[in-house]
This record gives sequence, C-alpha cells and structure tokens, in this order.
Amino acid sequence: MMNNSNVCDKKIRRKVFLRWFLNGESGWNYEKMQGSGYCYSMMPALKEIYKDDPDALQAAVKNHLQFFNTTPHTANIILGVNMAVEQTVKQDGKDAIASIKTGLMGPLAGVGDSLFGVIIDTVLGSIAAYMALEGNPMGCLIWVLVSAIGITALRYAMLEIGYKQGTDVVANISTKMKKITEAASILGLTVVGALIPTVVNAKVPYVFEWGKVKMPVQDMIDSIMPNLLPVLFVVLIYWLLSKKGMNSTRVIIFIIVFAILFNFLGILG
Amino acid sequence: MEISFLQIILLSAYGFIAIWDDLNPGFKLGKPVVAGMFAGLIMGDIQMGLLVGGTLQLMILGVGTYGGASIPDYMTGAVVGTAFAVSSGKGLEYALAIAVPVGLLMVQLDVLGRFCNTYFQHMADKGAEQRNYRKVELGNVLGMIPWGLSRALPIFLALFFGQDIVKTLLDNSPEWLMNGLKTAGGLLPALGIAILLRYMPLKTYWMYAIAGFVAATYLKVPMLGVALVGLVAAGVAYARSDEPAVSAVVNEGGTIEDDE
Repeated sequence: MMNNSNVCDKKIRRKVFLRWFLNGESGWNYEKMQGSGYCYSMMPALKEIYKDDPDALQAAVKNHLQFFNTTPHTANIILGVNMAVEQTVKQDGKDAIASIKTGLMGPLAGVGDSLFGVIIDTVLGSIAAYMALEGNPMGCLIWVLVSAIGITALRYAMLEIGYKQGTDVVANISTKMKKITEAASILGLTVVGALIPTVVNAKVPYVFEWGKVKMPVQDMIDSIMPNLLPVLFVVLIYWLLSKKGMNSTRVIIFIIVFAILFNFLGILG
Repeated sequence: MEISFLQIILLSAYGFIAIWDDLNPGFKLGKPVVAGMFAGLIMGDIQMGLLVGGTLQLMILGVGTYGGASIPDYMTGAVVGTAFAVSSGKGLEYALAIAVPVGLLMVQLDVLGRFCNTYFQHMADKGAEQRNYRKVELGNVLGMIPWGLSRALPIFLALFFGQDIVKTLLDNSPEWLMNGLKTAGGLLPALGIAILLRYMPLKTYWMYAIAGFVAATYLKVPMLGVALVGLVAAGVAYARSDEPAVSAVVNEGGTIEDDE
C-alpha cells in the first residue's frame, strides 16, 4: 500500500475510532443498517481528505451513507483500510472503496460474530452467570473489565492494523483469525460441556413403591450417569432448534409448557 | 416494600444506558447478569439481582443480535424482574415469571425502535444532499433516542403502573403455575446451551464438550478450573496449527467438513 500521503494522522484516526466506538450503531435501522454510523465515524477523515474539494466531499459522504453491516469490533479493520485507501485514491477510486467495504464486511462479520459475539462472551458470560448464581458479583466485574479494557484495546489495535497494512491486511488477518477462532471454539465447547450439569436442573421426585420396597427414580437415573436428565434435555432442545419454524421464542414457550405439565404430573420437580 | 420514584427513574435510565452500551462500546451493561447486578444494587438487594440476572443470562448465552435480528431482551427482563422480586420479597420464581414474558414482549419494541430509526437515516441522507454535514451526523446520533426509549419506557411504565397490577395477578396465581415456573427455571438454561452448541463447531470438536462435562460432573472441577483446562486444550490446538506438516499427519483420519 502506498501510504505516502499520510493525511489521516493519528489524531484523525483516534477521532474516527472514538466516533465508531461511542456511536457506530446508534443510528442502526432496517434500511441502511450501520450506514449512517459508518458515515458519521468517517466524517473527520473525509473532511480532511477532501478539504479542498467540496464536490468530492459530498460524493464521499453519500458513498459512505450506503448500506453497511458487520461486527462492530472488526468494523475497525475496515475503517482503517478505508482511510488508508481513500486518502490515496480519493474519488477516482470510489468504486474500489465501496467494493473493499462490501467485500470485507461479510467475511469479517463471520469471524467477528463468532469470536467477539459468541466465544468470548460464552466463556466470560458463563463464568459470570455461574458465580452470580452463588451470589458472587466477581464474575460480572471480570466480564465488564475485560470488555472495557482488553476488548477496547483490541478494537483500536484493529483500526491501526487496518490503516498501516491497507488492503494486504485482509488475507493475513483472516487466516490468523480463523486459527484463533478454532482454538477459541475448543475452549468454548469445554466450558459449555461443563455448563450442562452445573446450570441445567432436572430431577425426578417420583418414588416407586412395591410393598416394602421403595425406589427413588432419581437414584436409578444417577446410577446410570449423574446429570443424565440435563444432558438429555439439552439434546432434545438442540434437536428442536433444528426443526423448521423453530426459533428461541417458540422454544422458550415449549419449555415453560413442558415444565408446568411435567411438574403437575409429578414427574419433574 | 414499595419501589420509590427515584428507583424507577434510576432503573429506567439504566435501561437507556445499557442499550447504548450494548450497541456501541460493549462494556456488557446490556447483559442480563450485569443488568441484574446493577438493578439489585439500585433496589438494595444485590444478591437477588445476581440470581435473577444469572438465571436469565444462562438462557441466552452467546446469543447475539447478528445481522440485525431481534432476540428476547432479558436485560430489560432482568431489571424489571429484579425490581419486582425485591419489592415483593417473593424471590426468584416470581422474578422469572415476570422477566421471561417481559423479555419476549421486548422483541416487538426492539423491532419498533429499529424501524423508527429509518426516519433519522433519511434525515442523514437529506443532509448529504444539502451539504449540511452536521445534519448527517445528527441523523446518526439521534438514532439513540428511539433505541434508548425502547428500553427505558417499558421499564418506567412497568414499574410505575404495573406494581399493583402485577402484585394482584401473582398473589392470586395458582400453586401449580408457580411450581411449574420453578421447574422451568431449572430447564430454561438448556436453551442457551443448545443455541450455543448450534453456533459452535460441535461436529468437529464434540470431544471437548464431553471433557468439560466429565470434569464438572465426575471430577467436580469448578467453572474457572474447567475454563483453564479448556484454555490448555485451545493452546495445544493453536500451537499445532502452526505446524502444517504435523497437523496433516494428525488429521489423517480426516475431517472432510474442513473444506466446506
């Protein structure tokens, strides 16, 4: 990347970062999604790049108001790349800029959502919830602090990487991110496996009686495998979610009806 | 104990800030367990807040609003549920009986908020046409108003008007319902876990889920310990993926899915 014209200096990049950080998704809407947030964030850079050319500035603003949607975290890479490219090619390359943006937002949303949305939050969120159920707020505080300090620093670093490496960054980062995501999935799945017995609660209060023989059903189940019922129930829900027309709202209603019914019949307690 | 007006204002303001945070900086104020903690703090019973928030958190672990999809909003549910549970002194089942329906109803308001913001998008578009860039910027930032109100208003209305209505309703609710909801509280976390398993590469890495299960069930390892074991496994896998020659041999048994 030829970054010989270093128009977007550190001060401007910080401004763009902060704008996205504080209000990138404030204007989210069904029509352009993050479109207005992206344009809003790029504004300080655009005003600097096109300061001698009001026509080009208007064209650029319109360009960046178009549809945009990706993971807020990885969007920083796109903002960085965008600044690096736009200060060099300006409006001559406006199609290139638009296609870099749309080309990057898909793959970066794929990796970004699973890494920042699912895996990190699963691990920290389950520790937080688990500790909270024991009345301990430490897990929540850890989650908040890691997000506020660690993840924020990472977001800024991604913008800088995007800017410094320009378009080359994409190939590098997506292979590396894929490896990190794989490794993080392993961590996530280990935690989820442990979550099943600790947070799902299903016990059978029913006791078989034949004359003098009393046999609590739960003891029989436990002798096969402890926490068998929670596992089976997760499997049931996992399967239900694969059915057509099933979404989380419907499954919640199913679980509540299921619980009330089986509790009423004395099968689940 | 009645909920004071100041508490209602604080809890509504929390809802506004939490959705802003959830959209933008992401300090996790919009997560049910954190919302429960803060609601508990405002209500003077942090333990109850943690309990309500923690239970709701497990129901939606790892579920995000990807691509603009609306999901049950248990942040709002946790705030309202905690407030009512503390003020009535009736505990977790009572809180869940309120929080779950509130969270489900909030899906509609989330959609409404996102819809209203189209107006501000058009304001920004018009600003670009007139070269009024201040207007473009406002068109984005003002979008926070529908977003924030979509959370703050329901909290305010529920706490301000609903207190008596909800109280009578739940005082007269039959025992089978309350017991059933208690059972549901134990089962609902299965949903969060199942959704997560659907997001994660379970087909490739199922063995790690079993390892975690065994550690917790048979070995009674606490959650943080399990996470550390998982970290070791992740580190080993990452280190191996750096050596393509070795991993090629290891993968001999072949997971074809890798090619997609």
